[in-house]
Amino acid sequence: MIAVLGLVVGVVAGLLVRPEIPAVMEQYLPIAVVAALDAVFGGLRAMLDGIFDDKVFVVSFLCNVVVAALIVFLGDELGVGAQLSTGVVVVLGIRIFSNAAAIRRHVFRA
Amino acid sequence: MSLITNVMDHSLDDGYAEAATRKRAAGGTGGLPNTLRARLVLAGGLVLAALVVTLGAAQTHVAAPVVAKERQELIDRIDRETKDADRLQGDVDALRDDVGERQRVALRESGGSAGADLVGMLSGATAVHGPGVKLVVDDAKEADSGDGGTNPRQTADFSDTGRLRDRDLQRVVNGLWASGAEAVSVNGQRLTALSAIRAAGDAILVDNKPLVPPYTVLAVGDGQRLATRFQDGADGLYLHALEQNFGIRATISAEGDVRLPAAPSVIVRTAQPSTEKTEKGTS
Repeated sequence: MIAVLGLVVGVVAGLLVRPEIPAVMEQYLPIAVVAALDAVFGGLRAMLDGIFDDKVFVVSFLCNVVVAALIVFLGDELGVGAQLSTGVVVVLGIRIFSNAAAIRRHVFRA
Repeated sequence: MSLITNVMDHSLDDGYAEAATRKRAAGGTGGLPNTLRARLVLAGGLVLAALVVTLGAAQTHVAAPVVAKERQELIDRIDRETKDADRLQGDVDALRDDVGERQRVALRESGGSAGADLVGMLSGATAVHGPGVKLVVDDAKEADSGDGGTNPRQTADFSDTGRLRDRDLQRVVNGLWASGAEAVSVNGQRLTALSAIRAAGDAILVDNKPLVPPYTVLAVGDGQRLATRFQDGADGLYLHALEQNFGIRATISAEGDVRLPAAPSVIVRTAQPSTEKTEKGTS
């Protein structure tokens, strides 16, 4: 219950407050979104697998976002930002897909 | 492939498995958190995740219309300024015509004598007509395959040998003067004592107005004799060589009556007439 409440609070806060994102951070936001989605899907799958752990969820979420942003930042500094972003998106996308597939197996047993 | 296989196999964070093993070792069970603290931690994580995703979506939705709006504003501004510039250009043209007309009228009124008419004709300030020649010069056939030869500005090939260049036209006009032409116009542009024939890119400009081929050079003079002298002269031979070697098309014909317009404006801004006696003999 509290978890669902947290989800709602997050969405509402994002919509209502809508903080100005500094221009420096703006380009990392899409990557952060993908990383966040990856963490959420991972958590959902773990929950269905019965091995969910709140600490792992939070830590993996924060780490994914930070590491993804760092990789893109590094790529920008080295002049390969776009390529590295693509790499991050591909890896996280594959993870999201296979996690979604696992969730699907759990839910629909198919 | 092993990298992709690795990503596929470990799509779930290994931390979950480890945490589950630890819990099982400690005697607990996996699954959803059941202590308040664990639930709060989970809720906090979800708040963050939802916040990031929402912000990402909001950012894109907010940014997209702004970008489109700025773009549209820029387009509008360009359109507006272009329209203004066109209007001003029209004003300039109209005023220039007006000034030229007034100049001609003033010249006629103040002069009245044959001298003023002569000056007007020689300077190109008045329209003239009389026997003369019509010389039509065009680029080589293959040179204008790109766009039908209608717009020299659009062709990028600078070293195209099938094109008539400004210096060719200069020689042609010069040859006509040398052969006794009394007034010359190129594509309806009367040449004056101040006219310049030059090139900008691939286009030939007469008095800074770009010409479109074919180039029609009209010259007032002693019709057939003018044509013959021009063709026998050095510049006529030069034009002939252009025809032979580069496929430039040129036709010259004596006309009974050619009409040349007046130059748009004959303006002298800095030169002053000398009135001293010693200089008078030269005029």
